[in-house]
Amino acid sequence: MTIQAVYTLSKDDPEARKWLSFFHRHGYARLNQLIIERVYWLEGEAEVGNLLPLFVNPLYQVASDRSQLNPENGPVLEIAYRPAVTDPETPSILEAARALGENKLEFARLSRRYQFSGLEEAEARKLASRFLYNKIVERVREAGEVFETLRPSGEPDAVDRVSFEGLSDRQLEALASERSWYAPISQMKAIQAHERAQGRRHTDAEIEILVQSWSDHCYHTTWKSLGLLNLLSQATRRIAHPLVVSSFKDNAGGMEFYDGWVVTIKGETHNFPSAIAPFGGIATKHGGVIRDTLGFGKGAYPIGGTTVMGTMDPRIADEEVPVGALHPQMILTESIRATAYYMNPMGIPMMHPVYRCHPGYPKCFALGHSIGLIPAKYALKDSSEPGDIALLVGGETGRDGIHGATASSTGMTGRTLEKEFAAVQIGHPITERRFTSAIPVLRDSGCIRAVTDLGAGGISSAAGEIGGETGIELDLDLVPLKDASLTAWEILLSESQERMLIVVPPEKLQQAVEILDRYEVSHASIGSFTSNQRLQATWRGEQVVDLEMSFLWEGCPIDPVSASEPRRTLPAIDISEPCSQDHWESAIEKVLSHYHCADQSGAGARFDTTVQGRTVVGPYGGRNDRMPTNLSVLAPLRDKPYGVVTTLAFNPFYGEINPELLARLMMIEAVTKAVVAGTDYRNMVLCDNFYTPRITPEIAWDLTRMVEAIADLSVATGIPFISGKDSSSGTFEAGSEKINVPMTLAVAAMGKVPDVAKIVTKEFKRAGNKLVLLGPARPELLGGSVYADTFGQRGSGLFDPGDAAAVRCVWDKAIEFHAEGQYVSGSAIAEGGMLLRIFEATMGSGLGAKIEFDAQTPGRRDGWLFGEFIGSMLLEIPPEAAQTLSRLKVSHQIIGQVIAEPLIVFAEGGKVIFQQAASRLESLWGQTFREVLE
Amino acid sequence: MASIAVLYAPGTNCHEETAAAVERAGGESALVHLQYLLQGRSHLMDYHAAIVPGGFSYGDHLGAGRIFATMLVAKLRGQLAEFLDAKRPILGICNGFQILAEAGILPRRQPGTRAMALVENQSSRFEDRRVRLLVSQEKSMWTEGLEGMILRMPSAHGEGRAVIPESGHRTLFQFTDAQGNPTMEYPDNPSGSPDAVAGVTDETGLVLGLMPHPERASMPSHYSQDGLKLFQNLVRWLKR
Repeated sequence: MTIQAVYTLSKDDPEARKWLSFFHRHGYARLNQLIIERVYWLEGEAEVGNLLPLFVNPLYQVASDRSQLNPENGPVLEIAYRPAVTDPETPSILEAARALGENKLEFARLSRRYQFSGLEEAEARKLASRFLYNKIVERVREAGEVFETLRPSGEPDAVDRVSFEGLSDRQLEALASERSWYAPISQMKAIQAHERAQGRRHTDAEIEILVQSWSDHCYHTTWKSLGLLNLLSQATRRIAHPLVVSSFKDNAGGMEFYDGWVVTIKGETHNFPSAIAPFGGIATKHGGVIRDTLGFGKGAYPIGGTTVMGTMDPRIADEEVPVGALHPQMILTESIRATAYYMNPMGIPMMHPVYRCHPGYPKCFALGHSIGLIPAKYALKDSSEPGDIALLVGGETGRDGIHGATASSTGMTGRTLEKEFAAVQIGHPITERRFTSAIPVLRDSGCIRAVTDLGAGGISSAAGEIGGETGIELDLDLVPLKDASLTAWEILLSESQERMLIVVPPEKLQQAVEILDRYEVSHASIGSFTSNQRLQATWRGEQVVDLEMSFLWEGCPIDPVSASEPRRTLPAIDISEPCSQDHWESAIEKVLSHYHCADQSGAGARFDTTVQGRTVVGPYGGRNDRMPTNLSVLAPLRDKPYGVVTTLAFNPFYGEINPELLARLMMIEAVTKAVVAGTDYRNMVLCDNFYTPRITPEIAWDLTRMVEAIADLSVATGIPFISGKDSSSGTFEAGSEKINVPMTLAVAAMGKVPDVAKIVTKEFKRAGNKLVLLGPARPELLGGSVYADTFGQRGSGLFDPGDAAAVRCVWDKAIEFHAEGQYVSGSAIAEGGMLLRIFEATMGSGLGAKIEFDAQTPGRRDGWLFGEFIGSMLLEIPPEAAQTLSRLKVSHQIIGQVIAEPLIVFAEGGKVIFQQAASRLESLWGQTFREVLE
Repeated sequence: MASIAVLYAPGTNCHEETAAAVERAGGESALVHLQYLLQGRSHLMDYHAAIVPGGFSYGDHLGAGRIFATMLVAKLRGQLAEFLDAKRPILGICNGFQILAEAGILPRRQPGTRAMALVENQSSRFEDRRVRLLVSQEKSMWTEGLEGMILRMPSAHGEGRAVIPESGHRTLFQFTDAQGNPTMEYPDNPSGSPDAVAGVTDETGLVLGLMPHPERASMPSHYSQDGLKLFQNLVRWLKR
């Protein structure tokens, strides 16, 4: 078969320039030029000249039938997908070639040739393998290689039947480790007993399915053993909130919206893959959580998303990075690139881009949310019925993400980077985008009885879940493969992205296929639902899986976990109060330029925030669009005033002092941020995402307190959690050293408002208005604050806003004020305290603020400004309305006023103790994150 | 009532809000899948105007807008010529602008002959910004009555730098700074587009390519409603 090639170069290549400066930053100073040449390999008797318009635009590209790189200028490495893997562009090329009348083009492949001028070949190879390709799916094409065909090739391994019979505990452990099953001994013994009971050996496919279904990631073994798994869903049932349509059972949670619609929320972490291969890990984090929206009910449509990252400080030196971990700067920059790569083509607006750091995150925290919209009548799935078709839609199945579920449930070791790269998947947003358009059409045409996404555990997990109550029979020969060498268990377990499984009533199959064809979505009927409550699969004439659903879903032994109270011996903070203009200036600058408070728009501006035309308030706003809003407001129904308000709370510091209080604070912070914008907390739901270290008795104790605390607070405030996720694998092992993530809980709040025009934003509105702190303040409690962190201290006293009644009292007052139109700007106190809010409101308005202390003001002044009084809020109130404040039964303080000059001023007893131009602070605030990214 | 086609293909992701903006301006919109045109189930001449909205058509594989444009030129060249000859308006927004350029429809109305390109931003990044656009004095039905005004709307793209080797195009929109002067300063000019070019039209003023998104500035809850004016001009023109 003829194979031809087209080599193309760009006359001006910003991407090559970007990589060059990236490599310079990573220590390859001798690299003096980088050129990227693209190669198209074309199989078939096609007239290449006719295809050139497809591969080159002569206005900025040049093409040739041979390489245009001069080998004398430095080593050239050609990187391509492995022979068994197909390029994502191949179908596009074939389709466009047919449009150009070239029907004889039979296959196409791409490769990229990088020329590294100034480097030795060995050095270039090392650099390429670290940064430019993923060796699980890609490789270096060596010079002189000759191909007979470009088509995916390779032979699968035969089915293996494995016997556990007679193996000792130690042998079972060795086997589990050798096969990368990561199953605890109790599970291995359960499988051993099952083998004996059924009187036949298990196939490799069956064992793989069992261990992955029983992994902590899928089975929540840790939470089950602690009795935590159902605490939040029980709390939600107790609340019996009339707006809750679906909680915890489906791929996302649903809240009743207006006019017969439901909005959904789900948060997913993808910590392990993101720590070892951040680009792929983060791209698929988004892809996965978006599919949770598409897999809600009979298919919801994604209308918003978030990205939340916790890494080590990206500014640390190389030697401070634990052995085996990636440098946090690389995790951060790759994660930003990946979020842009996935979210922008998906056409989903970014609502909350949030980046935080903590030394405990060599195994990073990588969370993403997806918000969805669906007609209420489709919000609940129907049960599958015997005879229904299992329709697999989306991408082809490849070797991606094998062992993802089991690997993500373990800790991470220095060797993991090398060993488990296979667990990281590759994401192609165009494939997901196609079925994102098609699924609502299928749904509205009655073609979907139920739908679920393929995530951890791939086909086996989705089929086991959706066919759990009936039984399902799969024919694996019908699964479209992008890699011909996959064997049965790999087909079942593959976590290839961008796939969904749809339950289609047989009489609707033809219509479903027509719709999918119209949207150019690949599809295959891979099996049907039965009534024997078994998971069954055949492959090449062999029965490779035949498991009873009851064993799959209930057979996992839960190992007991003991709990004991940890001893915390944190010292109180030791910081002296600023006493001069210089001291104040230094303190304020340090807080504003702290990583957690600084301008993060260097990341956020790479994400589309307005696509879909639903955005009312995006991540940035104010006069110059730089002010962080800490708020997202979407108007999901076109030309209707109804709004969905979402907010987020994530703090890596508080948990070190008091995990139980951290949990309550995160919930209160998220709700308060939405309340101050004008959202009634009675029209609000929550989503929790836990990330905690591998279980020990002390971790078990803390984790239990955290979950109980928010379950209780949820009941006491009547705000239900409707979805969430736990990850108990936040431990990194570097040699003998174990690094635990801080006890982490991120809470997202989602509320609804009848009129987005009534939303109150943060920026100041008018000079002369009073600034009021509504809610309690304890200036002596600076523990866990950003301010304390700027002194390298954590402290021991964490602010506590009080019990549910006290917190509600502040919210109720704010809601009453909002209804009366009493305040014109507002923000919830969080990281960086009142000062950060004042600074941002100043920047967003071009106005200034004067804070006035007097003899009656108790406590430390820095505590007032930097204390993180979660649950309290800063309100801007016109002077006439401020006169009635004294009647308030809620704790409040008039702390100053808005002034016309763009200054931040503090006065004590009428005397100015600090004064600074907001613009000077703005430039410092803008510097930190930009420096990290460059 | 004249119907306005909003074309979409796999990867297009702004078609719904663009159709909604057309309706908001009093027009009648029709979402038309490219496959419908390719299969002959629908014909361009069924519509009185066409809009190619934003997104990442065909994943932007091989180049932004390249494959969509290849399809148009290879399979629909006759329909396109007929449409252009009939003096029917075309608007390309963001990826749609890239498609019109790749197809040769802009700036010279010659399908199959490329005369401009929109290449990677100088920053080599996707840039999401609110921008200000100065409307030039060039004649176009899209900007009738808006000449000299500053319009505010969101901009969000990774490839928006206009490469126009020869003269002959007409710049209709330029990125400006806060004072309303055309600018090369980042991020007011988010792509680093030469001469601050954000939108161009052809000799007739009927075909418009615009990188920023007017459909995202078209209702009261958007931060600006300036974008609606373009759709209103289209609807007014069609009524004449």
